[in-house]
Amino acid sequence: MYQSLVAYLKRYDFSFIGSFFAIFLVGVLNLYSATHSQAHEGLNMLYRSQVIWWLMATATAIIVSIIFNPKTFERVSYIAYGITFFLLILVEIMGDVGMGAQRWLNLGPIRMQPSEFMKLGLAMALARYFARVHPERELALRDLIGPGIIALVPAILVIIQPDLGTGMLLLLIFSLVIFYKRLKWKTIVSLGLAALVGGVLMYNFGLREYQRKRIHTFIDPYADAKGSGYNAIQSEIAIGSGRLFGKGFKNSSQASLQYLPENHTDFVFAIFNEEHGFFGSMFLVLLYLILFLRLIWLASSVQRFYDSVLVVGITGIFFWHTFINMSMVSGMMPIVGIPLPMMSYGGSAMMTYGVCIGMVTAISNSRNFFN
Amino acid sequence: MFGEEELVKVHKARAGIIGNIIVACFGLILARLWYLQVYKGEQLHQFSIQNRLRKEVVWAPRGQIFSRDEQLLVDNIPRYDAIITPQYLLDREVTIPKLEQILSLEPETILKLLKKNANQATYRPITVKKNIGFNELAQIESLNADLPGVSVQTFISREYKDKEVGAHLLGYISEISQDQLPKFKKRDNFDYRLGDFIGQFGVEEQLDRFLRGVNGHEFVEVDSRGRRKRYINTDNLFKGIEDEKPNQGMNVRLTIDRDMQLAAFNALEGKVGSVVAIDIETGEILTMVSRPAFDPSQFSRGLTPEYWRSLITNKMNPLRDRNIQEHFSPGSTFKPVTGIMGLEENLVDENTDVVCTGSLKFGRKAYHCWKKEGHGSTSMVKAIRESCNIYFQKTAMRTGIDTLAKYAHMLGLGKKTGIALPREVSGLIPTEEWKKKRFGEVWQPGETLSCAIGQSYVLSSTIQLAQAYAVIANGGKIFRPQLVKEIYNDKGEITQPFKAELVSDFKFKNPNTLRLVREGLYQVMNNPKGTAFFRRGKGLQMAGKTGTAQVVRSSADKVYQKCDQLEYQYRHHGIFVAFAPYKNPKVAIAVLVEHGCSGSGAAAPVVEPIMTTYMKKYQPELYLENLELEKQAGTAAPAPKAAPVEVD
Repeated sequence: MYQSLVAYLKRYDFSFIGSFFAIFLVGVLNLYSATHSQAHEGLNMLYRSQVIWWLMATATAIIVSIIFNPKTFERVSYIAYGITFFLLILVEIMGDVGMGAQRWLNLGPIRMQPSEFMKLGLAMALARYFARVHPERELALRDLIGPGIIALVPAILVIIQPDLGTGMLLLLIFSLVIFYKRLKWKTIVSLGLAALVGGVLMYNFGLREYQRKRIHTFIDPYADAKGSGYNAIQSEIAIGSGRLFGKGFKNSSQASLQYLPENHTDFVFAIFNEEHGFFGSMFLVLLYLILFLRLIWLASSVQRFYDSVLVVGITGIFFWHTFINMSMVSGMMPIVGIPLPMMSYGGSAMMTYGVCIGMVTAISNSRNFFN
Repeated sequence: MFGEEELVKVHKARAGIIGNIIVACFGLILARLWYLQVYKGEQLHQFSIQNRLRKEVVWAPRGQIFSRDEQLLVDNIPRYDAIITPQYLLDREVTIPKLEQILSLEPETILKLLKKNANQATYRPITVKKNIGFNELAQIESLNADLPGVSVQTFISREYKDKEVGAHLLGYISEISQDQLPKFKKRDNFDYRLGDFIGQFGVEEQLDRFLRGVNGHEFVEVDSRGRRKRYINTDNLFKGIEDEKPNQGMNVRLTIDRDMQLAAFNALEGKVGSVVAIDIETGEILTMVSRPAFDPSQFSRGLTPEYWRSLITNKMNPLRDRNIQEHFSPGSTFKPVTGIMGLEENLVDENTDVVCTGSLKFGRKAYHCWKKEGHGSTSMVKAIRESCNIYFQKTAMRTGIDTLAKYAHMLGLGKKTGIALPREVSGLIPTEEWKKKRFGEVWQPGETLSCAIGQSYVLSSTIQLAQAYAVIANGGKIFRPQLVKEIYNDKGEITQPFKAELVSDFKFKNPNTLRLVREGLYQVMNNPKGTAFFRRGKGLQMAGKTGTAQVVRSSADKVYQKCDQLEYQYRHHGIFVAFAPYKNPKVAIAVLVEHGCSGSGAAAPVVEPIMTTYMKKYQPELYLENLELEKQAGTAAPAPKAAPVEVD
């Protein structure tokens, strides 16, 4: 009995599960620290709901990893994509407005953000597509028409919500997956050019005024006469003031409500840096790095095409969030409202991550090693 | 199709590249963090300790509001709040009592306040006393060095020059509420913030987007004691951060005449009711007053709980605009509508005589005239002049309610006038179809008889009555009532000029219709037998109609009971509508006096001073001419002090 339990547990890959939990733990403490002093009713209790969300996400992860066989994922891929797509359309028609954009769907007591689920839906649909279609050669442009439509349509829907950040994220997940499936150099160049032209067109015709302002701000924050570079500068001050060792837990002064907007979602990384300094952030970055490298290694060591591509897609979800959030908070990118996985407050995101980790665990437990 | 082994090989190679990209990305981030936290760390740390740079909102001055003759009605006045920033409050034991003494607050008040706000961040200021006087302001400023952490915040408060006069029309501003914030953001596509003051009522609400302007901001440096100083751009880090000056809101010139407004307000003293005066040729509103009213200045100062309680517990409901938010039975003021119908539908003509015996039996019910003994042989002009119920009921008897409704609609009754003020009621003109829909019952012919004299289901608002009489006076044209003469920016450039809006134009078939009805209305005020003869004033040459609306339908035995013996809430409403000058009408005025018992007794006296103000100001020559003519005709006798009051 004991031995069989050990044998069972041995199938689990504790390096990514461990780093996933470790990041969450750091995240919830950081959330508590960021919001404990706030007078705003409800906001200072956020960390509790975050823990509840996390428990639910963990339970989901366990259920998904035990009950489902990776083959089931493959079978339901397009259905999952279809459902999230439907929800996305529903938001467009009858969604709630939060922070000036139509992202939320109100289902009685639950408010969902279908664009969160779309990330996983997209990863699944792409994996499903590439599980059947895998030419021996490197992919040319015409090979990308199918998967391109799968990615582009929901991305455009999300962008017009308007949630530019999440829309771009869908496209980035898509590009990581096709990169993994090998692209011709010619394809890479033409996609790059298309992105450039699309970006310019988007900037001129598709963006709202505040989105355009953010890009101006990023390009030259100090010359921004309207003062919207203020958030970027305050975020940098918060990070920089942490210096090597940080100001210590619960001691963030700069990154309080008045100085940083949404410090419980998009700017948690700034607060973490302020309180724990460069060494603290090195530790955190390392945790993320372990998670991503382990995931990408896992992707390359599984046998089934579907599993492999799905894990890459999931890696894409985690990686792009993390990279974009850290870059924007530290002033390397425009501020686009992308949360930091496991660190930022957010229920829909947490549930998505739970499902992701559950699926990866199921795949990891079922694999046959080739080395 | 290649084999699994090969595929895994390809995947492994790709995974290797992706892994390297990931590592490189995080290397970049660590490099950036190193740059911020180590290379620039010391400098940024200094900034954070001192919280030196703060972005502060500079409120845009709200646009001013003027009357049609460019008298200032609404202005902005700076006001001052005493605030404490706990972070800088060094010497509590000394500072707090001293401040309490200056502001003459009870001891311990400030400590309690600090305790209440103990949870919020210490750099956030707490307002200790709102709207402090200049004396207190001077003391705080001069003791500044001895009161660390105490400062004065400037605020711009809205001042309504004539206080309660026209309060409902002008409206008020107050801080946007938590509930309104998300709703209004979506509605106006405008980035409201908590702390923003927005128009919440009347013109302030309706024209908010013109009046509010665009807030600016400035960056201030705060020293170690929390005192602000202007930010001086010395540091490289903040190179280029610039202040932005606020953009003042647009100014508004209303169609309102201030003098008529004051006359109307005073005439309603001690009464509950409303007055509207309309320019019949353009739809411009000259006067619009509702009483009891409130002082809108109080709202922008931050309402005291006592004042708020006094408003909401007042049974007369001062917050209600009785011009547009109240509808009531128009009573006899509706009779000209029935008259117009009769003449236009050829049911009666100039020579028709109807005998009024004081009551009319129809079906099983008896309908009474207000004059118990009856008016005898009655023509159209006489019927209007003496407000005979039976004449109009007998006329209406010969047709249906739908015909009557057609003419009421033609005069603009039964639907919103479309004045640009929120929450207007539509009144009601019943039709057979309406009753079917509303009650599922068939229309009774007897009900037409009640409607013919403005009772039963018929409802109208003061502004609708003014508009209806304007239509009679101008010969069939409905103009949308408007309040804004023009909107202009701080350079004086007009961005929204006034344009009269013609809603409909009715062509009368019978050339006698308007002549007879107007003649009747003229005699109401200028024939000794008219119901408002004693309210005709001097030099006004008004034409008008009294009306008395029963609030509760009284049984037959109560019809003749003296109104002032009834309990207040059962007393009749007094209504009066008039236009002038008779020969070349310019202005129509409607008055409602709630529970005023009679139109001639309570409502008609309100019109006289308003019309006199109008005539003196806008038609002085005609006014003098009229006075002269009246003198010659010998009809200028002053009204007796106690004019006979009739229930018409």
